[in-house]
Amino acid sequence: MSEQSMTVQRSSVARQQAQVSTFAAFRATLRRDLLIALKRRNDLLNPLMFFLIVVSLFPLGVSSDPNELTRIAAGTVWVSALLASMLSLDNLFRADYEDGSLEQLLLSPQPLYFMVLAKNISHWLISGLPVVLLSPLLAYMLYLPADAYWTLLFTLLLGTPVLSLFGSIGVALTVGLGSRGLILAVIVLPLTMPVLIIGAKAVADVSLGLPLGMHYALLGAILAMSLSLAPLASAAALKISVN
Amino acid sequence: MFDGIVFASFSEFVQMGRYGFHVWSVYALFTIFIIANLLVPHLQRKQFIREQKSRALRDGQINGTASSSSAAPGESV
Amino acid sequence: MWLWFSKLGSPKWFYDLSGKWLPWLVAFMVVTMTVGLLWALLFVPEDYQQSFTNRIFYVHVPVASISLAVFPLMAIAGAITLVWKMKLADMVAKCAAPIGVWFTGVALATGAIWGEPMWGTWWVWDARLTSMLLQFFLLIGVVALRSAIESPDAAARACALLSIVGAINVPIIKYSVEWWNTLHQPSTPLTMDSNSANGPEIWVPLLIMIAAVYCFFVISLILSTRNEILQRERRSQWVMDIIASERV
Repeated sequence: MSEQSMTVQRSSVARQQAQVSTFAAFRATLRRDLLIALKRRNDLLNPLMFFLIVVSLFPLGVSSDPNELTRIAAGTVWVSALLASMLSLDNLFRADYEDGSLEQLLLSPQPLYFMVLAKNISHWLISGLPVVLLSPLLAYMLYLPADAYWTLLFTLLLGTPVLSLFGSIGVALTVGLGSRGLILAVIVLPLTMPVLIIGAKAVADVSLGLPLGMHYALLGAILAMSLSLAPLASAAALKISVN
Repeated sequence: MFDGIVFASFSEFVQMGRYGFHVWSVYALFTIFIIANLLVPHLQRKQFIREQKSRALRDGQINGTASSSSAAPGESV
Repeated sequence: MWLWFSKLGSPKWFYDLSGKWLPWLVAFMVVTMTVGLLWALLFVPEDYQQSFTNRIFYVHVPVASISLAVFPLMAIAGAITLVWKMKLADMVAKCAAPIGVWFTGVALATGAIWGEPMWGTWWVWDARLTSMLLQFFLLIGVVALRSAIESPDAAARACALLSIVGAINVPIIKYSVEWWNTLHQPSTPLTMDSNSANGPEIWVPLLIMIAAVYCFFVISLILSTRNEILQRERRSQWVMDIIASERV
């Protein structure tokens, strides 16, 4: 793709191939992260299990009355997806930071934006997409009206990448910390509120028969903005944290 | 613009037309807020200067010199 | 211009200059605060709807409006920290964050105290209250990040970045919350500026209070920034001279 980014090559990479295009590096990073995740089943299953458990807490904690559950179904699924995404964030850069490959990534001549983007996409494919795909089942268990299923699915599809992208900024800022614990949630959760608001409201509004163009437009706008800006912020944050 | 003080008596002023509790708790909070935010930095400054003075004195004694500038190399972060 | 800029970045320059300003600022604050408080408490006429709870506005509105300025301030200071690596900007940003938490917290609390008699409840998920609450959380996040990172230099840049991200997000949060709320609750009799006839006898004391609280914000920011300067520059000769000359 871009020519100027390949002028400087580190010797370790040079042996394998004279020049690595940004796109190839992007694909390689994505592939590598996905392969690692497939090898460690826990990373794949835990967010999903967490999502299931949190969703099932609500009927137990609030009420098992179908009418009541119908009302809170959209919010419950959205909040649980948010928390599941938050929980899985820790393995976004952590392992790479610990084994030093994150430093290699920062030193590589390819623009860091695309490398971070590849990592974010793989994180979303591992932790976000399964949650999205599972959501109709949980929506059914929470008595969500049938006409809201597609809305829930589509808003989650547009919204969960934003959660990964925003979360990545928080992880990048805290990756070097010994005890990160709750600080990640304190930093990231307020940033994700707009997505939660719009997503949950879209599902609630479709049950009322309101038009949804605005909701999708807003979610799409937020997704487009965070796709273009959040990896930049994550890249800058990684540079701060790793040094 | 001025119609004079709107309260006829002091007790009316305190009662604030049965909203005395709300009005005065806001003003109490505001007072605490202001005093705390001015006093705390002031006390911190005092504390810091006291610490640095005693440290300079201590280091001066150890190094056997009285000048305060000799405290710099002996200071730990 | 550049000479001025690099001078501005020098902590000593700021320390000396702010030392000269402080007495004037304090004097201005004392005068405006006294006039504003007495005027607001004694002379402002009773509101026909809200009775004497309108006194709460003269605290709430200044504090709330200044708390909205904290995030832009921190973002600008953060950008200066990241681009020009100016130490002073980071010191200001570091001190502004806890003060911002205070301002936002007091704005929320005074709003709640006003809401109780007027709305019949201490808390409403009104658009303005909600976005203020989220701003409160964002500020707490910045403060928490600052205290979590040990290296001051990394903490400075990390918080600068988070402040910029937060400042970009604040308007998004504000608009999404407004949009969320306005469709949910069709008619809200809860807007704060519903008092119809706003004569000068209402807003002149309000302006005076805003000036006073702004001044208070600047003073407390300067005070804690000066402490931060002393703390960080404690090994330079000029700070030692100050410490030596000061009586405790």
